[in-house]
Amino acid sequence: MDRETLIKKWLNHDLTTEERQAFEKLDDYSSLIKLHSAVNKFKAPDFDSTSVFDTISTEIQKKQKTKTNWVKPFLRIAAILAICFSVYYFAGSNDTRVATIASEKTELILPDASTVTLNAKSTLTYNAKKWEDNRNLNLIGEAFFKVTKGEKFTVQTAQGNITVLGTEFNVNNREGLFKVTCYEGSVKVISDIKTQVLKPGDNFLILDGKFIASEKETFSKPNWLNNESKFNSLPFKFVLEEFERQYNMKVVSKTIDTNVLFTGGFTHNDMELALKSITLPLNIKYSIKNQLIELSRE
Amino acid sequence: MPKNLHDNVCDENIFSNIYKRHSKDLHNFLYYKYGDKLNPQDKVQEAFVKLWENCKKILPKKAKSFLFTVGNNLMLNEVAHHKVVLKFQETKPQSIAHETPQFLMEEKEYMLKLQTAISSLTEAQRVAFLMNRIEGKKHKEIAELLNISTKAVEKRIYGALKQLRQEIEGI
Repeated sequence: MDRETLIKKWLNHDLTTEERQAFEKLDDYSSLIKLHSAVNKFKAPDFDSTSVFDTISTEIQKKQKTKTNWVKPFLRIAAILAICFSVYYFAGSNDTRVATIASEKTELILPDASTVTLNAKSTLTYNAKKWEDNRNLNLIGEAFFKVTKGEKFTVQTAQGNITVLGTEFNVNNREGLFKVTCYEGSVKVISDIKTQVLKPGDNFLILDGKFIASEKETFSKPNWLNNESKFNSLPFKFVLEEFERQYNMKVVSKTIDTNVLFTGGFTHNDMELALKSITLPLNIKYSIKNQLIELSRE
Repeated sequence: MPKNLHDNVCDENIFSNIYKRHSKDLHNFLYYKYGDKLNPQDKVQEAFVKLWENCKKILPKKAKSFLFTVGNNLMLNEVAHHKVVLKFQETKPQSIAHETPQFLMEEKEYMLKLQTAISSLTEAQRVAFLMNRIEGKKHKEIAELLNISTKAVEKRIYGALKQLRQEIEGI
């Protein structure tokens, strides 16, 4: 075995007994050993393992403390923010809501340029963000729709849904009364009782849960848009309710049969005149006290 | 049977085992490489604190290379490199007698020569050589610590030996 291999083996602390003997016979054995023992005087200072570990432990504990001190308040803040956000997101919802009070009418334009006119004491809700995907509206009360052509347009009410593609129609959805009138195009009305497709002039009327066949409409627009309410063989109570809504009055009519059918109308601009036009035909007396109107037999 | 139940070093037992196994090697590595001016003991401490802080991200078997890399970087951060001169322990006259003043002087001279020679080794050579000679580590062990091949360790150590002898004995 040559000298270099022997030295390398020695360096690797890997000499067998025989090899060790051979190594000891090398010329430079003594100088190598001298070097080796001299080098050993450069030994690294003792490493104080335990004391360093103690320092590490205390350091770690310190850091952990400060860490938890930060994490907890942060979590609290995050939780509060999360709650605020979810309340805003869910309770606030993204729906747009338009409502009218008594004796108020309003016209609004939907994101697709369709227009809606809301009659007194009516509420309309829709989601403006999702409008492109589904044209869905929720209506309580009465409204006239002028829908631009496009995807399915649905008006949802408690008493039935109205689906159209592009048309003009009026929906009157009051307690006990559900009336849809088509003025242009065609309208599909789906209610629990009946489903019908309306052509221009057609009326769809449900009174107290019963479908009533009614005559064709001759006007091209609902009358209430011209500040007039017209009734065609409707029970008198609906006339009184509409009157209350238009003038923000309370009508008391204990002694009168309000189921009598009424045909006629009243204006929205003059209360005296309006009152006369609905009471005279039925021979009814009225007296006005503040916000209260009392009706009685003549 | 080695169990691979733990995928991080956050467990205190695992952590202290790693400490026991690697702290001394890490200390010596840093000492032989950078000398004692930058206080290798502090760096060992910092490296282990860093290991704990990152314990969730580190597999137990990666801990060693993490420690060595961090320790090394901590040293490098501290200072632009300077020449490392390691200290040697003065030989205490063993039992007064035999050593003539001349021998002592020669001895001292030899040590000073060796000191200069060691300083002029490359970092890589010095670390490998001293770990081998002083800590008595085999090539394979050093290779594992430094993440290099056994062959490279052998080359560094043999090269270091050759260079030292050349400088001291003029061979």
